Amino acid sequence: MALTLEETTERARNRQELCADVKALLVERLDLDVNPTLIGDDQPLFGRGLELDSIDTLELAMAIEEKYEVTITDDETDSLLSLNRLVDHVEANRS
Amino acid sequence: MTQAALAAVETPAITAPLSADDIARLLPHRYPFLMLDRVTALEPGVSAEGIKNVSVSDAVLAGHFPGRMIYPGVLLIECVAQLAAVIYGSAALVSVKDTSADVSGRVGYLAEVRQAKFMRPVYPGDQLIVRATSGARMGALISVTGQASVGREVVMTARLVVTERDQEE
Repeated sequence: MALTLEETTERARNRQELCADVKALLVERLDLDVNPTLIGDDQPLFGRGLELDSIDTLELAMAIEEKYEVTITDDETDSLLSLNRLVDHVEANRS
Repeated sequence: MTQAALAAVETPAITAPLSADDIARLLPHRYPFLMLDRVTALEPGVSAEGIKNVSVSDAVLAGHFPGRMIYPGVLLIECVAQLAAVIYGSAALVSVKDTSADVSGRVGYLAEVRQAKFMRPVYPGDQLIVRATSGARMGALISVTGQASVGREVVMTARLVVTERDQEE
C-alpha cells in the first residue's frame, strides 16, 4: 500500500529523531569524545568508524535494552555494525 | 514433598555457605591471590555474597604501605571479580548436574572496570562483605555489578565486565 506524502514525511521524521536519540545514547553510555550530531547514519560503529570494540557491545546492548526494551542477542550482533542497522533493529523490535 | 524439594533431589544443589576449600574447588586462584574466605549467600548464575577478612598477615600490606597499611582498592575489584567467577562457576555445576565437576577452567578475564568508587580506605582488621550480581551477557562477556562493605558502610562500588571461557576452547 502506497504511503501518502504526509505519512512518508512523518515516518522519516520519526526515524531521524530515533537516530539522533540513539547517537546521544551511544555517546553518553560509552563516554565517547565525539559530538553526537557528527555521527553519520551509515557510519560503522566498530573499527575505523566510531572505534568501538567488542567489550563495548555489551554496554551498548544493555543501554538499548534499558532505553527501548529491545534486546540484542548473540545471534543479532550484526545489528551493531552500523548506526542504521542498530536503528533498524530497534524500530523492528520496539513494542 | 514440595516442588522445590523434588527439584533438589533431582539436581544436586550447590548452596551457601561455601568454605574457603569449597571456593578453591571452584576457582583456579591460589595463595596469595585467592581472596574470598567464605561465600555466605549464593544464587548460581545470578548473585553472591562473600566475606574477605583483611589481616595484617596479608603479604600485600607489607608493601602497601610501610607504616601506613591500607588494603589496595584494586584488590577490592578483584574480590568482586572472583565472586563473579563463583556465580558463573556454580551455575556451570548446576547445569552439568555434577557438583564435583572441575569448572575452574571456565574462569576467563577481567575485561572492563567502570565507575569504580572507593569511599573510604580499608584497614587490617576490617571484615569486607563483598556482593556481586551478574547482569546482561553477550557471548563470553558478562556484566557484573559489585560492592564491598565494612559493617553497614559501603566502601567500594563498581561495574565490571568479566569473561567466562567455554571449557571446550
